[in-house]
Amino acid sequence: MNQKTWSILGLLVVVSLVLETTLTYESDHWWDSIPAFYSLFGFIGCTAIILISKWLGKVLLQRREDYYD
Amino acid sequence: MIDNSLIPIPSFILLVGAALTGVLHRRLRPYSVVAFAACTLILAWTLPNDAACRVGFLDHEIVLFQTDQLSRIFGTIFAFISVAGGIFGFHVTKGGEHAAALCYAAGAVGVTFAGDFISLFAFWELMAVASTYLVWARNTAESSRAGTRYLLVHLFGGTILLAGIILVVTETGSILLSAAGSAQGSGLWLILGGVALNAAIPPLHAWLTDAYPKATVAGAVFMSALTTKSAVYVLARLFPGWEILVILGTIMALYGVVYAVLANDIREILAYHIISQVGYMVAGIGIGTQLALNGAVAHAFSHILYKALLFMGAGVVLFATGKSKLTELGGLARSMPLTLWLYMIGAFSISGFPLFNGFISKSMVVAAAGESHLDAVYLLLTLASVGTFLHTGLKLPYFTWYSSDAGLAPGRVPRTMHGAMAIAAFFCILFGIAPGLLYDHLPFSTPYEPYTIPHLTESVQILVLTFVAFWMFRGKLAGESLLALDTDWFYRRSAEPTKRYILGTIEAVFDVAERTALLVVHRLVTLSANPVVLVNKSFSGKAFDPNRARPSLGVALGLLLLLVVIVVVLNLLHV
Repeated sequence: MNQKTWSILGLLVVVSLVLETTLTYESDHWWDSIPAFYSLFGFIGCTAIILISKWLGKVLLQRREDYYD
Repeated sequence: MIDNSLIPIPSFILLVGAALTGVLHRRLRPYSVVAFAACTLILAWTLPNDAACRVGFLDHEIVLFQTDQLSRIFGTIFAFISVAGGIFGFHVTKGGEHAAALCYAAGAVGVTFAGDFISLFAFWELMAVASTYLVWARNTAESSRAGTRYLLVHLFGGTILLAGIILVVTETGSILLSAAGSAQGSGLWLILGGVALNAAIPPLHAWLTDAYPKATVAGAVFMSALTTKSAVYVLARLFPGWEILVILGTIMALYGVVYAVLANDIREILAYHIISQVGYMVAGIGIGTQLALNGAVAHAFSHILYKALLFMGAGVVLFATGKSKLTELGGLARSMPLTLWLYMIGAFSISGFPLFNGFISKSMVVAAAGESHLDAVYLLLTLASVGTFLHTGLKLPYFTWYSSDAGLAPGRVPRTMHGAMAIAAFFCILFGIAPGLLYDHLPFSTPYEPYTIPHLTESVQILVLTFVAFWMFRGKLAGESLLALDTDWFYRRSAEPTKRYILGTIEAVFDVAERTALLVVHRLVTLSANPVVLVNKSFSGKAFDPNRARPSLGVALGLLLLLVVIVVVLNLLHV
């Protein structure tokens, strides 16, 4: 991952945040008033999926590959 | 209404194709598969709405074939993916595998166009049997066992479905398929159970992730498209608006995501994401509004295209390297760039990137949840789409094509494999760019516009930040040589614990009871052999001997004397 790619991704987020705050549109949900909600949702959601699933695997689900043999 | 028995029935064309392909010369077989699938596609596409074919059977009139907007769109995509799957499997030489694939497609198309329960059930079972062969045809000990489990589970599901059908038909007196609406009853619940098994709704889903990774390279492409989506079709036909499906669908969408973190086999990751994606369709059917049903159908259509493309990509990797586990793969970007990029088109589609077909269909279901004020469903489905991008779009390609180089030297890949991938990829992009092409054929004419500024900003933020989180935690996501227990544990490993905890307890109780009974009997036997022991311990252990046991004369006289004394004493006291 080089710097150029990161800059493009950063720019995309900035543009989407600017659009989100400048354009007013009819909002259906309470969370639409939280700034950058979907950025936080993506980051926290992804982290939570990784950590919780790994934790479940460790404490409950994972077995050796020959478990069923 | 066009109604005659001379209309060529799409599923019968596929069955004739299957029979013919089995006996054709080895080199002609792949052409035959593609040709018959293509004929079916043209037929499904050109038949007018409201065409039907009715045949008398026992006391009933069977509707072998009937078209409307819903069945046509499913029938079309099933036939289309059979063409693409046929091209992908061009290298396959086994007649059995070709014939099984066509029979399987015939089952799925047959279910889609069936107008009554009897023909639906017949095609349903055909699908189960034909698809089992696609697992067995891999010809490994593992696939042979998995195939048998797959068949047994599906026969069990079929039996539940049949029981439900019998109850419903007995109750209503009609074998025709119609939406259950607000009707309830054990028959409908059994039908729902049987269909839920094929739709892979947890806990009835484990057959899918058990068998798909072990099927043949080309067979898995057919399997990824047909079984679950034909069940989705039946759910949409019979159970629109059943609220329980909203809950089950949302659970499904997240269930697959959690397990995909733990999976190591690339086709197992994709299989868990079938469960996750079908969750959106099931939830959409449960919400039951026009937008939600349109969304479920559109998403099934999109899903079949990109999921087949993804399974093709994973299949090509397996075909070329002989490996399918993340722990054994890595660094293939240099040697397999074309496969990578075609796969990534599927990955962008399933992840809901703008301009790809997942974006224009998944969002319909999510928007329908929002429109119906199901906030939790909206957020949880959005969370599931974070997981989808994480696994299918990031984890799988990163550890297969990048990461550390596993030093594999992939073999040559037939051009037809990449050709089939290119066809699927083309349509993933086409419907992403021009969603109207799909929307025009949905069951309802509810307007929906996917390319709005809020939807675009939402998607961009979620996707970019998911990527950032992946990049930070990618070390945690590397494959592990472990398996994750799922509900197939109950039929694969429950024998030992059942023996230990259930039979063991019962056995222990019986053991104590038996030992007590034997002890009592033993005591009674000893006692009845020589009751004198009760008064004279010196006799214990010896057999009864009347001469020895007989009391002496002194004892008799003593007792007599005692009696006299007692009588005298009593007399004295009373007088």
